[in-house]
Amino acid sequence: MGRPDLDRRQLLAAAGGLAAAGSFGFAALGQGADALASGADTRVRYWNLFSGGDGYNMIAMLDAFRAEHPGIDVKDSTLQWGSPFYTKLAMAAAGNRAPDLGVMHLGRVTGFSPGRLLDPWDVGLLRKYGVREEDFNPELWKRAVVDGELYALPLDIHVQLCFYRRDVLDRAGLLDADGRLVPVTSTDEWFDVLAEARKATKDGLQTLGLHTNDQNIMWWFFVSFYEQLSGTYFDAADTEVVFDTDKAAEVLAFLRRHVTDGYSIAGAADAEQFVNGAPFTMEGNWSVPVFDTAELDYGATPLPPVFGKRATHAESHSFVLPHQARRGGAADDAAHRLAAYVVQHARQWAGGGHIPAHMPTLSSPEYRALKPQSEYVVAMDHQATEPKVWFAGSTGILAQRLGPVVSASTMGSLTPDAAARRMKGVLTELIAMKNPMDGRTAAQARGGAGR
Amino acid sequence: MTTSAGTVVALRARAAAPSTTVRRRQGFQHGGWFVAPFLVLFALFVIWPLLRGLWLSFTDANISGEGARFVGLDNYREALGDQLMWDALGHSAYFTLLVVPCITVLAFLLAMLAHHIERGKWLWRLCFFMPFLLPSTVAGNLWQWLFNPGTGMVNHVLGIETPWLSDTSYALLAVVVCTLWWTVGFSFLLYLAALQGIPAHLYEAAELDGANAWHRMVHITLPMLRNITGLVIALQVLASLQVFDQAVVMMDFGPGPEGSTRTFVQFTLEEGFTSYRVGYASAISIIFFVLIAAVALARMWLLRNREEDGR
Amino acid sequence: MSGTSAPVRVEPRTRARTGTRVRKPWTTGQIVLTLLGAAVSVVILSPLAWALFTSLKSETEAVEVPPHWLPRDWTGQAWKAIFETGNITNWFVNSLVVSVCVTTVVLVVGALAGYGFARTEFRGKGALMGVVMGGLMISPAVLGVPLFTTVQQMGMVDTYWGMILPQCAPAAMVYILYKFFQGVPRELEEAAFIDGAGRWRVFLTIVLPLSRPSLAAVGIFTFISSWNNFLWPYMVTNNPDLMTMPNGIATVMNSYGIQWAQLMAGGLMAGLPLIVVFVFFQRQIVAGVAHTGLAGQ
Repeated sequence: MGRPDLDRRQLLAAAGGLAAAGSFGFAALGQGADALASGADTRVRYWNLFSGGDGYNMIAMLDAFRAEHPGIDVKDSTLQWGSPFYTKLAMAAAGNRAPDLGVMHLGRVTGFSPGRLLDPWDVGLLRKYGVREEDFNPELWKRAVVDGELYALPLDIHVQLCFYRRDVLDRAGLLDADGRLVPVTSTDEWFDVLAEARKATKDGLQTLGLHTNDQNIMWWFFVSFYEQLSGTYFDAADTEVVFDTDKAAEVLAFLRRHVTDGYSIAGAADAEQFVNGAPFTMEGNWSVPVFDTAELDYGATPLPPVFGKRATHAESHSFVLPHQARRGGAADDAAHRLAAYVVQHARQWAGGGHIPAHMPTLSSPEYRALKPQSEYVVAMDHQATEPKVWFAGSTGILAQRLGPVVSASTMGSLTPDAAARRMKGVLTELIAMKNPMDGRTAAQARGGAGR
Repeated sequence: MTTSAGTVVALRARAAAPSTTVRRRQGFQHGGWFVAPFLVLFALFVIWPLLRGLWLSFTDANISGEGARFVGLDNYREALGDQLMWDALGHSAYFTLLVVPCITVLAFLLAMLAHHIERGKWLWRLCFFMPFLLPSTVAGNLWQWLFNPGTGMVNHVLGIETPWLSDTSYALLAVVVCTLWWTVGFSFLLYLAALQGIPAHLYEAAELDGANAWHRMVHITLPMLRNITGLVIALQVLASLQVFDQAVVMMDFGPGPEGSTRTFVQFTLEEGFTSYRVGYASAISIIFFVLIAAVALARMWLLRNREEDGR
Repeated sequence: MSGTSAPVRVEPRTRARTGTRVRKPWTTGQIVLTLLGAAVSVVILSPLAWALFTSLKSETEAVEVPPHWLPRDWTGQAWKAIFETGNITNWFVNSLVVSVCVTTVVLVVGALAGYGFARTEFRGKGALMGVVMGGLMISPAVLGVPLFTTVQQMGMVDTYWGMILPQCAPAAMVYILYKFFQGVPRELEEAAFIDGAGRWRVFLTIVLPLSRPSLAAVGIFTFISSWNNFLWPYMVTNNPDLMTMPNGIATVMNSYGIQWAQLMAGGLMAGLPLIVVFVFFQRQIVAGVAHTGLAGQ
């Protein structure tokens, strides 16, 4: 063990003692270095799931808010999008020390136990900061209200779009006089368009990016086209599954045909191919900044109404107040102020392709001048949404269970008929399932046994 | 001392016991106080969660901590019929099956190498052990980056285009590779310590008898390493069954392509924290605990048997 | 085996071959082995080198296809960025605070308990010891959900204590120290008892100083595992202000998307302290591994 070197040993002991004392002291303060260092009067902890272009725009809006409100320190944190985000948000709310402000997909609110894991908004306070119910699409606002309380403040609507390269389609003669994609009203027309476009496409590129192995996106496409066939999932009381396997199989066969006919290559890097010259890609509106940055000559329409009726999947980012044991006070007030500010200054946000929920912003000339946003803003009136049940919502249980089936069918490992039957089976299971948060099935919740 | 009943392992020889009277008198006053602080922590954070988990497993508790109702054996019944649970168990078991033999062999080879190189022993030790010093999540991030299909070094160096992280047949394998790289150092050190503990005179005697290197290895080294091999395997089995960190980081906290890297721990946490079903997750945890305990007890039983007819 | 040289013998076998080896000249065998060792080291270290080089590229150069090892334009932008954004330094402090607290508590509590189990008598000791050994099978990976609800009940989710205390009851460390204290010759204690010293004085003035190497090994090991611990901090901390390094790096994203150069720089920052610790305390760590080995054997 060597000869004890007393000096070194004493030094180590002293350093160790100091470190221990300091650490216990720091832990006792319990806030973290960042919070301790914050000199502002009020500190708002705000969680979101935005990265990339959305993250960039969100930070720009936060910076604008910070500049106007020097007394409020906004500590924003970005967590991994999807389930990891909701997992963390739920755990934090369950632990009573949740962030002051959070972001949530509107479809998830019903399942996120409003009242337990979410605190309601103070509508009076929002009004004080300029947010009024009248300024929102009534349907949207209604989705945010549970048991008479407002639990979510909608920021946007985001939709699935069909992006197209003007330069390529021009060569194929698929643009109308305004330089927009020719109207498509049936599947036959759609595949004709694809066939024409393929001829104008460079070798080695697919014709249409379809994200065939992305279970979320495939599910959203399914929701869109199934709605175009006026398909439904449950009856009005949410007691019975009325899922139409014939319509579902038709949609699935339609999606599958893109792969079998060679228009989409499974597993291809869709966005990159589009940038490199693939004529089409179906994708969320969040790709707008990506393609803007690449300086492409492109347009974007809602998913083509190949089954007759216009409909494209829409979700909505909204602000929520995760449950805190002692909500209220300056931080809560600042959370209201921040959310109200961002909702009303969503012009920047629209740069990310999202359609602002705040109507005055939506009808502003600045927004109307944005391209291609102005081309697909009609999607606001043709929303296809998931059924309003506790297991729905972006990356919720419904999507997690059905998305893989849609993806498998599109990739070819399941026939459309078998996939449709399997989807119905899953829906039957889900409708009987009890929401772990209140022990009630969707039907019992709809029946309104009262909370 | 004869009161060591309950200790897992046969104790080693030690100095002769002193007079019982002194020990008893002194010890009785203070013994409890010495262990009390530990026992308090142990009771709060090990025993209580176990009991609480057992209770919760019979309820439909959710994550809010309110309104749990007794549901009897429903959770266990559901778990045994839950394909996702069996899949997750399968993934963890398959992972274990892949990792344990590889780590054991690799660690042994590395230790032999480091042991027999005469110069710069500390340097080899440092090099072989260094990955283990990284946090698991850093190892996960690093390999996610290395396995990246376009920008990653693995495909570039090997000149292939394997979609490591997005293909069901490779994803778990990628996690295995990351794990091997990250954890082999620990077992390597165990082997190295054991190798250094083999008395030199055994080799010297063998050499005098004219045994060549191969014979020395087969007849001295390997038998002398039997115990440490048992330990390495046991530790690795227990750790591998509990794999979580690297896998979720490499898959961005998702279950991997078609759920192919969803491990048992991940499944439990998903049920508890993503689906908010704390009662169900507790039942799964208890099942897992029984499984782990069975593995640990099996090892003890093997050890005991061996010590009875060996040694 | 001989037991004459040192009074305290943790691992008798490691000392069996003492430093009598004379440095031999280079033989063919040695050259081959050394080259082999170097080659293996290169393979093992290349991922780390790749991380380092990536961290010294610009974000755009980092994602170039095909990849290349050395940066064309060496830049410290990633390193600068992680210090300026502040999260990493914040998490670094948290890691330090949590690891130091855990190590301190484990050393104090573990030494007391190890000694208590090894050298004192009290009713039910055998049974208690058995229960504690059973605890070896319980980890946050196995019982994470119930542990979370326990800590939730105590109101300690998203606090330092919620992160620290559950890491402070490692049965394994108690067991290692217990084994060690059993090896301390009783004669030393007996003499002090006869001189009238109490149990506590004997423990503090005689036993503890003897056990420095063991305590060092346990301390370093606890520090390493606490510093690298991901699962429990991941479960119990959601507030990014309070996250430790491994947790923060994995869960908190960059708003601008994945920035590989920064991610690699952050990862190296997380690993660096332990690499330094290892270089300085290699002997104790190796002894520590041998201990754990012994304990489990």
